Amino acid sequence: MTVLILTSPEDVTADLVVAALHDRGTPVVRLDPADLPGEVSMSAEYVRGDVRGYLSVQERMVSMDSVRSIWIRRPGTPGAGAAEQSEWLTAEAGAALYGALRCVRARWMNHPAAAAQARYKPWQLFTAHHSGFAVPATLITTFPQAAREFAEQHPQLVVKSVSGTHPGDPPMALPTTLVAPDADFSAVAAGPTLLQQYIPKAADIRLTCVGTGLFAARKKSGPGQVDGRFNSPEDADWEPVEPPVRIARSVREYMAAAGLAYGAFDFAEDTDGTWWFLECNQGGQFGFVELATGQPITAAIADWLAGGQDSRTPHGEP
Amino acid sequence: MRPFALIHARPATPETFVAPYTYDSALQLNVLPDGRPVITDRALLLATAATVSTAGSKTHFDD
Repeated sequence: MTVLILTSPEDVTADLVVAALHDRGTPVVRLDPADLPGEVSMSAEYVRGDVRGYLSVQERMVSMDSVRSIWIRRPGTPGAGAAEQSEWLTAEAGAALYGALRCVRARWMNHPAAAAQARYKPWQLFTAHHSGFAVPATLITTFPQAAREFAEQHPQLVVKSVSGTHPGDPPMALPTTLVAPDADFSAVAAGPTLLQQYIPKAADIRLTCVGTGLFAARKKSGPGQVDGRFNSPEDADWEPVEPPVRIARSVREYMAAAGLAYGAFDFAEDTDGTWWFLECNQGGQFGFVELATGQPITAAIADWLAGGQDSRTPHGEP
Repeated sequence: MRPFALIHARPATPETFVAPYTYDSALQLNVLPDGRPVITDRALLLATAATVSTAGSKTHFDD
């Protein structure tokens, strides 16, 4: 049984897991959907109520019947590497590949449907609240007056992207940023704006959940630091930390509600020690935490992908 | 009118470090010019920033 990894060739974080699977003697096929068609080929046939097929990349071929698990780790856009790219080809390649793979009786990390839902920040906040986390007051609005009233209730606010994307033309970064006390909110009308109560931080917490395994790490916040992600790697002084029992319970409730097998949770630890939920990134990076803390996240992912044959389900529930 | 969030954006930091590795399809791993897998070089992993939390923001919306 084979582990199928969908990722871009240059992703060295995927390398960590590929090597761990090699060490376990688990067959791996790694491919980038960007290379379909081209270096990646596929065939899927509907036969009497079943879909059977093959995927090939370079010299490797794998029967979809023999796929044990599928790890979606930052894959390229289907068709993006084709000689003649087009939106139509991307749609066709994506529908063919992911459509066929959805018929495979393999477990996913994470299933595309669960991943798509889990990317929505409003849904994250809603689910986090119902999972028992402390969640900062948040407003997403295009009404300037609503923003002004929210600012009156919460004098210290941050603004962040709703989608998590950064502007691309020209390339810009949009870190979570403190809003000035005298801010003019009229520009809120020009685009949905996410405003959130600022939590003065004692530390950033990154909690990586792999299956049922939890790996929490803590990084003390510098003076006035708002978005710790934009520090240089040299400043990333992460240390392992044991998550409080209540947090661990809430993480598992959240993962179950989201149907996720993998999630990277970000918390702000306030001066009272409360962990405030900021977001859960279903595809969040783990390399920097593992490098800093030595926590065996790669091994946990490899074990999850290589194991669990008996628990495979058609829809990839964890 | 410029959206409120974009008023708070700042220029992205251009990448100045060119990673000295290539993908080896036989190994399914990235390798250094001397053939060693990149993952054996911890300092390089940190230097490429490919493993940090904002790496995905450049090409994906996950980080």
